[in-house]
Amino acid sequence: MEKQKFFSGRRERKITETLFLVPTVLAFIMVIIVPFIIGIYYSFTDWDGVNAAKNLVGLSNYTTIFTEPAFLHAFLVTLEFTVLNVIAVNVVAFLMALLVTSQVKGRNLYRAGFFVPNLIGGIVLGSIWQFIFASILPGVGKAVGWGWLSSSMITNAKTVVGAMVTVNTWQYAGYIMMIYVASIQGISQQVMEAASVDGATYWVRVRKILIPLMANAFTISLFLTLTNSFKMYDVNLALTNGGPVAMFMKTPVQASELLALNIYNTAFKYSKMAQGQAKAVVFFVVLVVVSLIQVSINKSKEVEM
Amino acid sequence: MKKILVLVLALVMALSAVSALADITIVQNKVEIDAALQEYAAEFSKEAGYNVKVITAGGSSDYNTALKAEFASGKEPDIFVIEGPTGYELYKDKIADMTGDEWTQYTTAAYMDGDKVVGFPVSVEGYGMAYNADILAKAEIDPATLTNVDAYKAAFEKLDSMKDELGLDAVVSMVAGTAPGMTWVTGLHNFNVYLTVGLDRNDTSIIDQVLAGEVDEERFHAYCEYVALIFQYSDPEMLLNGTQDMQLAAFANGKTAFYHQGNWMDPNIVALNVDFPMAYAPHAFLHEDTDGILVNAPSWYVVNANGNVEQAVDFLNALATTELGHDYMVNKASMVPAFTNVTLEPATPLSKSVMEWNAAGKTYSWQQYKLPDGFGMGTLGAIYELLASGAIDEPTFEQMMKDAIATIPTL
Repeated sequence: MEKQKFFSGRRERKITETLFLVPTVLAFIMVIIVPFIIGIYYSFTDWDGVNAAKNLVGLSNYTTIFTEPAFLHAFLVTLEFTVLNVIAVNVVAFLMALLVTSQVKGRNLYRAGFFVPNLIGGIVLGSIWQFIFASILPGVGKAVGWGWLSSSMITNAKTVVGAMVTVNTWQYAGYIMMIYVASIQGISQQVMEAASVDGATYWVRVRKILIPLMANAFTISLFLTLTNSFKMYDVNLALTNGGPVAMFMKTPVQASELLALNIYNTAFKYSKMAQGQAKAVVFFVVLVVVSLIQVSINKSKEVEM
Repeated sequence: MKKILVLVLALVMALSAVSALADITIVQNKVEIDAALQEYAAEFSKEAGYNVKVITAGGSSDYNTALKAEFASGKEPDIFVIEGPTGYELYKDKIADMTGDEWTQYTTAAYMDGDKVVGFPVSVEGYGMAYNADILAKAEIDPATLTNVDAYKAAFEKLDSMKDELGLDAVVSMVAGTAPGMTWVTGLHNFNVYLTVGLDRNDTSIIDQVLAGEVDEERFHAYCEYVALIFQYSDPEMLLNGTQDMQLAAFANGKTAFYHQGNWMDPNIVALNVDFPMAYAPHAFLHEDTDGILVNAPSWYVVNANGNVEQAVDFLNALATTELGHDYMVNKASMVPAFTNVTLEPATPLSKSVMEWNAAGKTYSWQQYKLPDGFGMGTLGAIYELLASGAIDEPTFEQMMKDAIATIPTL
């Protein structure tokens, strides 16, 4: 009885609730907030990542990175990859969602099949696709005599981003498809039937009813694909490792090195931890701004029934 | 219930008694000796009374980044590998002094900081132009004549013209791609050809010049032409896409006459049951004769002063002084040991060739590890890849290399 009284008081309940939050909040502070603040501090130093010696150097890391061709190039490639990838993933995912919510035979099998690639880790996926791009596709190309297929897509600076988009779409579209499927199933069948009685064709119904009513699913899916593309690292590392080499601002740069990989390489490969941190801070700010813009635009398009 | 509790308690106590001697962890960078080292560590652990854990990161992935991650995560290894001054300077504060320890009396290849002995030589390694002796014999080329670039040019041309007859895909098996992670072959090992071939082992004039941002024009021009020559007679797909395994497979299957790799590939060669005779010819890029291959202790085990120093040193002593240790180094890992008390001889072809060149005193040193972090593999590697892809020609390659080297003092 004593115990029950302890938990029933308003004040006490608040304490209990707060206590339940403590482990999570503590973990969040330890692994996200604290490293984030320390990272900002490091970006103003000249730390190499290992030795204790570090001096404050003010904003010089920030001025250096904006004149560095490799970083600027990584920025542009990341934008290119993000635009292509967001379009590819969402178009493919939406079409797959339409397919598996239609009356087509074996739709449950498709649904499972489309989702399975998402269960494979990025590094494994990257290595497998590297083998496909480097050995299998050129092998097929040579065997059937198609010149365009007989050299590897990932060693050509012009096609390498397309290769990465292909792999990421293959992996991620199934996941986004599930979000669209859930949203489509949440729409009342009566509305669709009423429209079809009025003589609206399937595509008209999709365009005029389904898509507007699914606006909140688009918000979340675009947000997920946008941030996912911006932060792409594992597939990038395992599939291309940044290669091949291209010329940019008269300097050789890695044609497919996205921002996350560029930051990692700066910090660890070239032992410039502080400069890598400065890049990471810039990366963070850009990502926040871009995703806020995206969410507010999408939110304004959402409608209620 | 009580019984179970007692049992658990007894178990815990027994376990803690076993691990009275702290375990040690080794982080090392040679994928090809991983299996052998794991096996040796397991056997050693049985006798030593503490566990030796081996973590391997290297080959196509990047050892240095993995090691930094281990340190950053707080799981500091007890023994790790440094590859020269760059690594040593980076970890200097953490490296224990091993002066006077038992193993030091049997080697001259230890890593020294002044009078302090700090690094245990993992092995001596060498590389040159490995050749398939059967193919060269069929083409009537005497490998002993391959001591200047003109001889190489003639040999490459001859082999290229006999490709169909000899069943070759290309003359040289060479890789230069970033995606498969092979730029260390070009940006570090091949670049070292420019740094030391033809020089005395203690002569650091060329590397000093490079670190000051300059090159020896005539020598550098000859070197760049040599790179272009090798690339010209390599399979372009292999150059850009080839992994370490693909590069070896081409040579091991008799599809190329030459192979640009070191004797650390021996375990893989044995695994593929290669039956043709092979040996090293020099990387002779000058018109004058340079008769020697590139041999050095490529890396050293160092002990973390914050770790279990006693056990770590014990482990290294055993490696250098026990039969089990010698057997592991020579027979299991196919390495050429750096220790004078080892009487075993390597049975594998490339290590044997390295030992012969070494015994004849015809060797040049390795200086590539004096380059700044990431410069060889990243910055220079990218330029080699551009040449390999045909995006730039030899004169542009030479100019871009010079421009990149000129930035070294600012790094």
